[in-house]
Amino acid sequence: MKSTFTLGLAAAAALAAACATEPEPAPLQFAAEAPAPVASVDPRVKFKDGERYLRDLSANLNIPREEICKELSRYDCMTDAFRIVLGGVEAPNLLVNEPIEDAALTSPIAVDRLALHVCTNRVRMDKETPAEAVLFKAGAFGRDGRAKGPELAWLNSTADAIYGSVLLRSPSEREVQNLAAYYAQVAEGRAANNPDVAADWVTLSCFAVASSLEAVFY
Amino acid sequence: MTRTPSRRNFLRTASLGAAGAFIAARMPQDAFAQEAMIERAKNPRFLIVLSSFGGANQVDAFLSRRESEIPGAAELNAYPDAMVQTIGEFRAIDMKSPTIGAIPASFTANQSNFVRKHTNDMMVVTHTGTSVNHFVAQQRSINGNAAWKGRTLQEAVALTYGAGYAIPNVHLVNGTGFTERGTDGTLPAYVYGERAPVPNLWPLSLDGYKGIAGAPDRKLFEQARKFRNERLDPSSDFFRTFGGSQRIKHWSDIRGDALRGVEAEDLITKLMLFPDSAEMPLAAHGLQGSAIGQKVREAFPNYEFDPLEAQAALAFMLLRYGVSVTVTIGPEGSAVFKKGVKLGEGGLGEGDIVNPPISFDFSHQANREVQALMWNRQLSIADRLISLLKSEEFAGGQSFWDRSMIYFATEFGRTRRRPANAMTFGSGHDLNNGSLIVSPMANGGRVLGGVDPATMLTYGFDPETGRPEPGRNMTEPEMYAGIAHALGIDTAGAGLAEMRAMRRNA
Repeated sequence: MKSTFTLGLAAAAALAAACATEPEPAPLQFAAEAPAPVASVDPRVKFKDGERYLRDLSANLNIPREEICKELSRYDCMTDAFRIVLGGVEAPNLLVNEPIEDAALTSPIAVDRLALHVCTNRVRMDKETPAEAVLFKAGAFGRDGRAKGPELAWLNSTADAIYGSVLLRSPSEREVQNLAAYYAQVAEGRAANNPDVAADWVTLSCFAVASSLEAVFY
Repeated sequence: MTRTPSRRNFLRTASLGAAGAFIAARMPQDAFAQEAMIERAKNPRFLIVLSSFGGANQVDAFLSRRESEIPGAAELNAYPDAMVQTIGEFRAIDMKSPTIGAIPASFTANQSNFVRKHTNDMMVVTHTGTSVNHFVAQQRSINGNAAWKGRTLQEAVALTYGAGYAIPNVHLVNGTGFTERGTDGTLPAYVYGERAPVPNLWPLSLDGYKGIAGAPDRKLFEQARKFRNERLDPSSDFFRTFGGSQRIKHWSDIRGDALRGVEAEDLITKLMLFPDSAEMPLAAHGLQGSAIGQKVREAFPNYEFDPLEAQAALAFMLLRYGVSVTVTIGPEGSAVFKKGVKLGEGGLGEGDIVNPPISFDFSHQANREVQALMWNRQLSIADRLISLLKSEEFAGGQSFWDRSMIYFATEFGRTRRRPANAMTFGSGHDLNNGSLIVSPMANGGRVLGGVDPATMLTYGFDPETGRPEPGRNMTEPEMYAGIAHALGIDTAGAGLAEMRAMRRNA
């Protein structure tokens, strides 16, 4: 899945600010809104329960289901930890036969934990085995690794990989621009060509997309 | 909803710290309502619903009768005279039994210790329900059979006192009618019960970041959330197409101020009951146990294997740390055995069965033994909760207990008949029963109503004076009203009965 989009001027300007040797905080300029699609007159969505959510991410990010999210490195995030608040049921012991009707106060926090676990794991695996990287691929700072900031092509392809893996679609131009501009925020106070910055950007971009409304509801 | 607190109320919420932040986010429009909300949050009452699944029968406990008092005692559930103790207005049954019906499991059960210790805060009120269906009757025990628009007692408490609390209404037992959401859909979202089914891991759902090894810096994580909420989501085609969905609106609402409020309280640490161990490797993941964990674990040492002890421990922490104003706990449907018990190896030892299967409802097999065992269990839990609540100061020399009520909610009573002179017999469901309420705010030391010696069914009382009234049956809405009023809940306009007799102060 290849994106043909390129960075807009606003995103490029923000990124340029981040690429300075001693970066100074610059107000981010995200992409302008595209024309709104027609809003549904009867919007009905369903919560994607935690098991389906993790299975989808497991398949798309190539992480075994049983390893994708472990609290305290031992307890499955869905089965053991957050099953009920993530819309699951547990009849034999807890007598919970039906999923919760409305999201619990802790549901968004639990989703954030799942997304952060998954994305952190994926980027860690990508760093450990670059040849099999799914999201955090080599080439962020050019072929020789000496660019002052991330290459636009790398930003584009990474944004494409994140959307393609998490939401199974290509990002829009606006979404690519927004993610690229977001790099400057992640780099704030650090050199933009620091590999840790790039890894953090991939992790957090993945997190943002994986915990977005589109990822959580269908 | 746009909220515009008056300048005076804004300043008052600011002086309340974390509670003020919650209140500010939950404020109604009306300035008088704002003021009332602030005052109630500063002066809360706490409700602990100790659900008693299966029919906690009063005539097997505080309304028990001696055979010499009952003309037809041979075929009614009257106890041998020597077993029935009288302590103030209450009765108590202490029992030692070699079996639980057909199960060769000996146990010792005691009610008298609790009664002696807590007489002044105990109130037993008789009533007759309207359903012998477990789930329906459970619901009616906490919503008074839709007495007040269908809102539950827990929701009424959370609405009255919970605005300044992170998670006002927490259900630690699940899958019961005691924790079923009420049918008043007009209440603000924060008053409905939050499920906390796994006490050891639930605290992890109170922080989206802590304890995740290798994650980027927290500051960056918070920026990512902001980026998602303010840029990514609003500009997505998905949101612009389906953003009008109530589910999405609700989600967007609770992942905003509510989420930040919960995380700011560091509840992932404060409520972490379990200590660092091989099973709960907290330190290795940058986490730690609660500062009061040791104290709570000493009170409930079986928290690792007994779900009710774990629930009670976390319930106390929720109240103590100002997270909740109402908690619901209770035994579950599964049998609980003492730690280390091995089944199928030649019988069970003394006290090996901590909780019989289906709790009080195992009275179908063995009424007296199960009632004794389960009452012992419930009273022991309540006693330890009370001790903990008494040990912690709320403010101004008042303890948490001074503001608390334990309501032993149950579905119904048990049938009163027995085979002639039998000690071991099964019982069915009976609409007629009563409830135990323990609280400094209740009309303590009193039995309201009585027992008809001809049938051993309970009868009611005068709602104003508490005087016994044979032939009268108290209703579910009257019980609801009495509990709500004892908790200081303003039910004006609800059309509820005045139940003066059920509260200590007018």
